[in-house]
Amino acid sequence: MATIVKSYEPTFWDKLYLPALMRGLIVTFRHFFRKNVTIQYPDQKHIPPEGYRGLHRLNKYPEGRIKCVACEMCSAACPADCIHIIPGPSPWDGGKERYPVRFDIDLLRCIFCGFCEMACPEEAIELTEIYDFSDYTRDDLVIDKEGLLEVYDLTKDQNYYTKKNLSKASSVNTSIDT
Amino acid sequence: MPLLKIDGKEIEIKSGTTVLQAAEANGIEIPYYCYHPALEIVGSCRMCLVQVEGMPKLQVSCNTFVSDVSSDRKVDGKYDMVVHTQNDLVVQERKNILEFLLLNHPLDCSVCDQAGECYLQDYSFKFGNAHSRFDENKRVRPNEFLGSQIVINHNRCIMCSQCVRFTQEISGTSELFVEARGYNSKIAVLEDNPLDNLLAGNVADICPVGALLSTDYIHKNRIWNLKKQPSVCQDCSVGCNVDVFSQTDQILRLTARENLDVNGYFMCDIGRYGFHRYEEIDRVLQPMVRKGDSFVSADWETAIQKTIDLIKKNKSNTAGIVSPFHTNESNFLLGQIFKDVLGSLPPITGEEITYPSGFRISADRSPNTRGMNDICEGIVEDLASKIKTQDIRTLFILDDGVDRKLDDKWKKIIGKMDSVIVLSYAMTDLAKLAHVVLPGHAPLEREGTITNDKGRIQWLRPSLPVKVESKPDWEILMLVRNALDKKTEHFVELGEVMKKMGEKFENYAGITFFKVGNQGYSINGKSS
Ligand code: SF4
Ligand code: SF4
Ligand code: FES
Repeated sequence: MATIVKSYEPTFWDKLYLPALMRGLIVTFRHFFRKNVTIQYPDQKHIPPEGYRGLHRLNKYPEGRIKCVACEMCSAACPADCIHIIPGPSPWDGGKERYPVRFDIDLLRCIFCGFCEMACPEEAIELTEIYDFSDYTRDDLVIDKEGLLEVYDLTKDQNYYTKKNLSKASSVNTSIDT
Repeated sequence: MPLLKIDGKEIEIKSGTTVLQAAEANGIEIPYYCYHPALEIVGSCRMCLVQVEGMPKLQVSCNTFVSDVSSDRKVDGKYDMVVHTQNDLVVQERKNILEFLLLNHPLDCSVCDQAGECYLQDYSFKFGNAHSRFDENKRVRPNEFLGSQIVINHNRCIMCSQCVRFTQEISGTSELFVEARGYNSKIAVLEDNPLDNLLAGNVADICPVGALLSTDYIHKNRIWNLKKQPSVCQDCSVGCNVDVFSQTDQILRLTARENLDVNGYFMCDIGRYGFHRYEEIDRVLQPMVRKGDSFVSADWETAIQKTIDLIKKNKSNTAGIVSPFHTNESNFLLGQIFKDVLGSLPPITGEEITYPSGFRISADRSPNTRGMNDICEGIVEDLASKIKTQDIRTLFILDDGVDRKLDDKWKKIIGKMDSVIVLSYAMTDLAKLAHVVLPGHAPLEREGTITNDKGRIQWLRPSLPVKVESKPDWEILMLVRNALDKKTEHFVELGEVMKKMGEKFENYAGITFFKVGNQGYSINGKSS
């Protein structure tokens, strides 16, 4: 059975457009007095919540030795296969005879799942709150060991964005236990 | 034959086999550390404990032999032995043994090179406890060099003594021994007799844990990153079966692969570390044609055309030189092109060594001399004088590669030629004398069959990816052959070359990769 759909015939008030305009402006003005939801990035930075998974870092012991022992658990766990490690005999004395000669993470491949952090038996790799690390070339977005250690220095005792000091409890500087 | 019941499964097996072997042969897993099929049984690790009905205590299955018992002592009237490998007692015992073995173990899997192929890891995961109750301090000892290539990490050692028995029984050199007793015992060498024999690398292979390590592989990679390719060693005419471990285009290590008809379970260090000599070589990756004193790279068409021109110039005065380093298929094809004069350069030899266990390192340090002689009829004995008498002006040479050091005599002979064509993977002394260099595959990239000195045809499998413009040797030779004689057959794959070869040589009839398989195929039709 066919249905006959009557098309809507605009009335005089509709054709005036004024009531609709007013209704729209009411919404606009209502929001005018409410709190902003957007921020003025990049002048103003978004502060990610705790547990946010951003740029990686490689932790160090207070003595300066890199915590990573190049066991490649992280690269085995990584679903994006973006961690590339070249191990070598460690130049430091006392236990932990292995360390990464090279440690590269391809940040463009990384999906920031945090599996590397979970897999690491040495608590050496961690994801930080840093999210704005764009660059101009693909090569520049492969972060190397030096870069990752630099991120550690930037984030070890303060939040990268708020610059607020981290409480003692959450800092991870335990010393070498072998 | 004694009838055995293991975990409810009836097994009939020769009297004199051990319970462990009987179980293994029937797919029942019994964990073990100190047992090795090639070595004397010591029964020291106690990991293989099982319960045998009628015996008061648990028994080590590696040292419990099956035999016929008199009919009145048979269990249930028919079984000579009833064994349990899975009951609560055995399971609990395994847990305890593992806890003992791990008492002083540093649990440093994250820095240990054995991780991933370690029986302590595997068995702990499968049979062990998740926790240790050991509260005292662990015994800590520093690492030591046992020989120039072998390091021992005493902390990880479980004293299975396989390495000690290896040096006593297989290499017969007895460098290793157990020093002191009980808690203080450790594997040691005498200062003036370090572990430096040519089989030393095997101890790192047979060590079931990460205690014995080869300096060549230590801290290099992780085992799960590596691709494992079964192949054959090409450093002497014995042709030990090996596994080649590689990552992208780099070989990381070689280990012996079991083949009781060839090398047993072991290989020598010449072959084990031999791959390093292909690392820093001047590879040829594009066809090269001589221009005055230097080479210019060319494309394949030009290079093959140039080759044909050179050969055609003195067709009747051309000789082919085959190589014991190349596969049967390559030698066969070259033999078919240059039927009239075919020779090979003087053999490359070393010292012949035979160990008390029968393990052999052959004096002939090329892998395929036997195959080359089988496949190429009428190889001339004295090539140098033949070249003179026949007035040979052109040579087509399959290059032996980096091992071939040309002496002055041959340099002179080759230098005098009108034209020399060399099929090689590197700019060797020989290739430098060539007019055309055709880039073939390096030893670890090659595929084909080789025949060892006992007449066993083995499958050489490529372990590395093919590089740039190089082509398989057989394909290059086929191109040359086709270009010389348009009527000859065109092979699209190696199998066809093998088939053709089989038609010409009775011994090689019916050989396929499938037939050769992982364990090889003896020409004599039986194991050699
Ligand atoms: S966060 Fe996930 S994807 Fe990124 S490196 Fe770690 S494991 Fe790989
Ligand atoms: S970061 Fe952790 S998991 Fe990755 S290699 Fe280093 S120690 Fe191993
Ligand atoms: S394998 Fe039987 S005791 Fe070690």
